Amino acid sequence: MFDGLFMLGDGIAHFLTPISLFNIAWATLLGIVIGALPGLTATMGVALLVTLTYRMEPDQAILCLMCLYAGAIYGGSRTAILLAIPGTPASAATTLDGHPLAMRGQAGLAMGLATSASTMGTIVGIVCLALVAPLLSEAALQFGSYEFFWLALFGVLISGQLTALDDPLKGYIAGILGLLVAMVGMETLHAHVRFTFGITALSGGVDLIPAMVGAFGFAEILAVMKRTVEARVVTSADRVVPRIGEVARYWKTSIRSGLIGTFVGIIPGVGEDVGAWASYAAAKRVSKEADQFGKGSQEGLIAAETGNSAVVPGAMIPTLTLALPGSAAAAVLIAAMFIHNIRPGPLLMVENPEFLYQIVAILLFSTLAILVFGLSLTRPLLKVLAVPRERLMAVVYVLCVVGSFAITQRMFDVYVMIAFGIIGFILREMKYPMAPLVLGIILGDLLDLNLRRGLQLTNGDPSPFFTRPISAVICIVIVFTILMSIPAVNKRVRSLFSRGSTASPP
Amino acid sequence: MSDDSLSTSPSEEAEAAAASRMIRADLVMAVVLIILGAAILYGSWTMPRLELRRVHPLTVPGLVPGMLSFALIICGAILGGRSVRRPAPGGWHLLGAALLSQQAMRAGTVMVLALIYSLILVGTLPFWLATGLFVFSFVVVFEAWLGVPRKPLVPTLAWAFGLAVVTAAAVTLVFERAFLVRLP
Repeated sequence: MFDGLFMLGDGIAHFLTPISLFNIAWATLLGIVIGALPGLTATMGVALLVTLTYRMEPDQAILCLMCLYAGAIYGGSRTAILLAIPGTPASAATTLDGHPLAMRGQAGLAMGLATSASTMGTIVGIVCLALVAPLLSEAALQFGSYEFFWLALFGVLISGQLTALDDPLKGYIAGILGLLVAMVGMETLHAHVRFTFGITALSGGVDLIPAMVGAFGFAEILAVMKRTVEARVVTSADRVVPRIGEVARYWKTSIRSGLIGTFVGIIPGVGEDVGAWASYAAAKRVSKEADQFGKGSQEGLIAAETGNSAVVPGAMIPTLTLALPGSAAAAVLIAAMFIHNIRPGPLLMVENPEFLYQIVAILLFSTLAILVFGLSLTRPLLKVLAVPRERLMAVVYVLCVVGSFAITQRMFDVYVMIAFGIIGFILREMKYPMAPLVLGIILGDLLDLNLRRGLQLTNGDPSPFFTRPISAVICIVIVFTILMSIPAVNKRVRSLFSRGSTASPP
Repeated sequence: MSDDSLSTSPSEEAEAAAASRMIRADLVMAVVLIILGAAILYGSWTMPRLELRRVHPLTVPGLVPGMLSFALIICGAILGGRSVRRPAPGGWHLLGAALLSQQAMRAGTVMVLALIYSLILVGTLPFWLATGLFVFSFVVVFEAWLGVPRKPLVPTLAWAFGLAVVTAAAVTLVFERAFLVRLP
């Protein structure tokens, strides 16, 4: 317990240097700007920044990436409130109440509440990260091939299920496509090269960074440029810094939303957007002012913003302890960690325990930076929103090309980026979520290797996959998840439950 | 874009049209997925099983791709079956119209510009020049030609030129000098 506190102190002290503080300031500010600009998402920003930071020291590189990630998730709220379009998908729920508040002339209050709610969400998430990650990491040391196979499968499935709520089938398809992409290149068990069709550049597999830059960068540019109408900025000159009373009034909602956001963050591949929607729905269900939700409810705004910000630290829990990305941006962070020779996974707490507390410290610093920038830079951020997308997107595409080229310096990676961009755009237009696809790419190798290694260890006997206790539990959860996504089964189970509840006295 | 005057509310009508279009698009996608799945299944089945290295039949390299392609075929079949069963009045027509719409043209234009830049210009011209040309043409095309409303040509040309010069210079300097990253 005290070891953890000491290491956290060390982590904070580690970043109390001028260069670190400078990096925290610019990366968080860049994140807020990226988040605020419609069409630039947190994942895309992190993927592009990997290129810029790969010559830095590992701790400074991860510091910049994490600050940008946290900043971008917050920055999206600005656009949601002032333009009624979410700056990043994470702020979609913020739009519902943030924009009506702005329309009523309370844009400043809405921005201030969004800032304080984001801070609150990150703090709840950070506490959970510092408490849960070491425990999970210790438990994960017991995991073998069997458990990791099921975890990888569970990650892709649950991400498919939760990111495509109205049509899980499309989420599953996206996940399977991602897993299939991971099958390209040399497999690790027998060193056999698969599906490369004689292209030597493919023998190492499809690199995650160019694929992400394509699926989240180029595809986003196509989606933004497709639209013909542009939104108008609504603003007002009221007070931005909220009163203590306004923030403290909904403390229960803040803590509940923070916990929900953190939990959603822990679920692999389910990101900030789901965190915000889940917290928003929960707040609406228990609120005394539920009728105000969607019409400019302060509680709704707080729930959405706390929920999405808490996902960031929450997502770091499985990312660091199991190497299962908790969100799409966390998938890029895993790739960046590998570039910098940091190996996330159960051994992280054994080999490099101070790294976890450094991440906690980074999140604390980025929260402070968000609070300062969010409450002070209201006018300059308004100017950012006025940049025409025709000019912005041209520059962003240039960054996508440079970003995908620079790491391995192969034009092949630029082609990968373009292919993923175009296919990603078509899939998005057809309502296929991107997160399971990305998760599939990163977990495909884990799934393939652990299934076959498990079978090799038992000489072809699959029973340990079903009889080891943790394996059995994850397997049952997977079967249940798939069954519940079949409409007929779902309806029957729900009717059973509702019959049960109507039979019991109210 | 249709400009018919409708008795039902326009948003409901648009939603129904989008649903019909999506049902037909799902059918096309289902066919693509089944063909892709079948091709990967064939590839996995015919993949070397490394018998000479005494590899256990349940750990062959084609095992997981085979299982995944089988899952893909099943998902494709469910998607296709669902799409056939659901009514989609005018679905094919709406899908065709969406592919020829102004929005599709705008996306297509971005793809063409991006492909010319990354496949042809980068590599043949110095990177800064290729980048400048791309940014200039992108801004001019989307502001003065495809803009809604169109912007006057002369100021657009001036803006596009300025942005092209600044982007080309900034990207080259920042990446090569400040972050020591090599450019294409």
